[in-house]
Amino acid sequence: MTAATPPLQGTGIGLRQPHYREVFERRPELAFLEVHSENFFLEGGASMHALERARAAYPISLHGVGLSLGSADRLADEHLAKLKRLVDRVEPALVSEHLSWGAIGGVHFNDLLPLPHTGETLALLADRVDHVQATLGRRILVENLSAYVEFRNSEMTETAFLAQLARRTGCGLLLDINNLYVNAVNFGFDPVERLAELDGATVGQIHLAGHTVVDDCLVDTHGSVVCDPVWDLYAHACARFGAKPTLIEWDTDLPALDVLLSQAAQAGTIARREVAHA
Amino acid sequence: MPELLRLQSDFATALRHRDRAPAVQRWLAGDDAHADRRLGIYRANMVAAADKALSAAYPVIRQVVGGEFFHGLAREYQRGTPSTSGDLNEFGATFDAFLAAFEHVQTMPWLPDLARLEWAAHRAYGAADAPEWDAATLGAVDPERQSAIRFQWSPGLAVIESPYPIVRVWTIHQPGYAGEFSVDWDVPEAALVARDGFVVRVTACGPADAAFLAASLAGQPLGDAAEAALRQHPDFDLGALLARAIPARLVCGFTL
Repeated sequence: MTAATPPLQGTGIGLRQPHYREVFERRPELAFLEVHSENFFLEGGASMHALERARAAYPISLHGVGLSLGSADRLADEHLAKLKRLVDRVEPALVSEHLSWGAIGGVHFNDLLPLPHTGETLALLADRVDHVQATLGRRILVENLSAYVEFRNSEMTETAFLAQLARRTGCGLLLDINNLYVNAVNFGFDPVERLAELDGATVGQIHLAGHTVVDDCLVDTHGSVVCDPVWDLYAHACARFGAKPTLIEWDTDLPALDVLLSQAAQAGTIARREVAHA
Repeated sequence: MPELLRLQSDFATALRHRDRAPAVQRWLAGDDAHADRRLGIYRANMVAAADKALSAAYPVIRQVVGGEFFHGLAREYQRGTPSTSGDLNEFGATFDAFLAAFEHVQTMPWLPDLARLEWAAHRAYGAADAPEWDAATLGAVDPERQSAIRFQWSPGLAVIESPYPIVRVWTIHQPGYAGEFSVDWDVPEAALVARDGFVVRVTACGPADAAFLAASLAGQPLGDAAEAALRQHPDFDLGALLARAIPARLVCGFTL
């Protein structure tokens, strides 16, 4: 599998509608822009035009939220066909999806629901990732999930699962540091130990985001600044894996563009510091 | 049945029917009360996704009924008509039929037609960009064959006919609208929804033009569509309609 463009370096932000004009006018120095693939499954119009403008100025990371790689009954080939059309049109630097499921029996929850980490799930996911990579004609990245429940029948950790998935399919991993931290708190494990289960060469991108505390649970809301423990874990990941293309993810209660740019700058500073010391 | 399929079926049931959650408990770590609280986060996400998608497609209806009531509408609509696509832009196509049947909005009988208008606008937003077309090619058609012309209307163009003033209601709820807010509820209106470049425009359209456009959009040739309009509206003026539609690039081609 070959990538459409040279590998990315540096930090990026999500391009969201309220920031379109300002991003195009200011052209901030960013390594890439990320968009949700499904928001651009359109034939034409203003959104597609904005994406074309963005593509002319920046490498694009297409981040999917609706393919439902882990649905036990079927993979939605019509959804994959739309993604393929978008990938062919945009020629993105990165294409990613989640280690999750969202639909069963024709009903879609439009959410990233967790999977049990079993041999059965691994065999299914390996088939699905092979199929998606063959259809798109490129490597994809698969992201670790934030979750609020754990399954009794899981046989391995999520990171061990992802490491095996990458070995079997050649896919890359999208390491979401906030998701790992959210799960570490929700389920009581040491996130640093989990990072040790990953091969740095397979990590193709890192996500950083904010979360919300609800009762006894951290909820992954992408609506606030990155918290200190997540920055610390990011520093640890950079020291361990080297600098990776890193995204500041922010989807709800979108702040001023400068807030995103300052978070991106902070990520860049940490990555450079850690790589220099490594 | 494979284990994963059973797990996902039980999980789906627990999300959609709170009283049928016990089936999923056997799969979940932790005690039942804990697991049910955590499932509640996913239940809330499910409704939030429906609310977000419908709010994007139906911003005027959301304003009309208020955000809190709209959230309830989204929950009820999703209960009966769950999403079937991983692309939430597809969600809400039958919201008009839901509103027509939902008992708590029967005091607003114009709501379903307003929903049809907003869905048409939602679809037009992402429709293909209109191809370039040289209108002079229309003048070159042999007059004897003109009645067989089938127009290609700009992608996303739609006509919504209603016994209620849906264009007026839509207009006074647009951001930046600065006029007065009176509505004469006895005025029937047809809405012409069409893209102008990247902007979706909603304009009132006379009943004769609406009848012609509806027939033409349904694939009827020019002669039949004009006849259909004239039967109901003897004052239908095809020349005047085309003189407005062609410069506005509502027509972007034809076949014979």
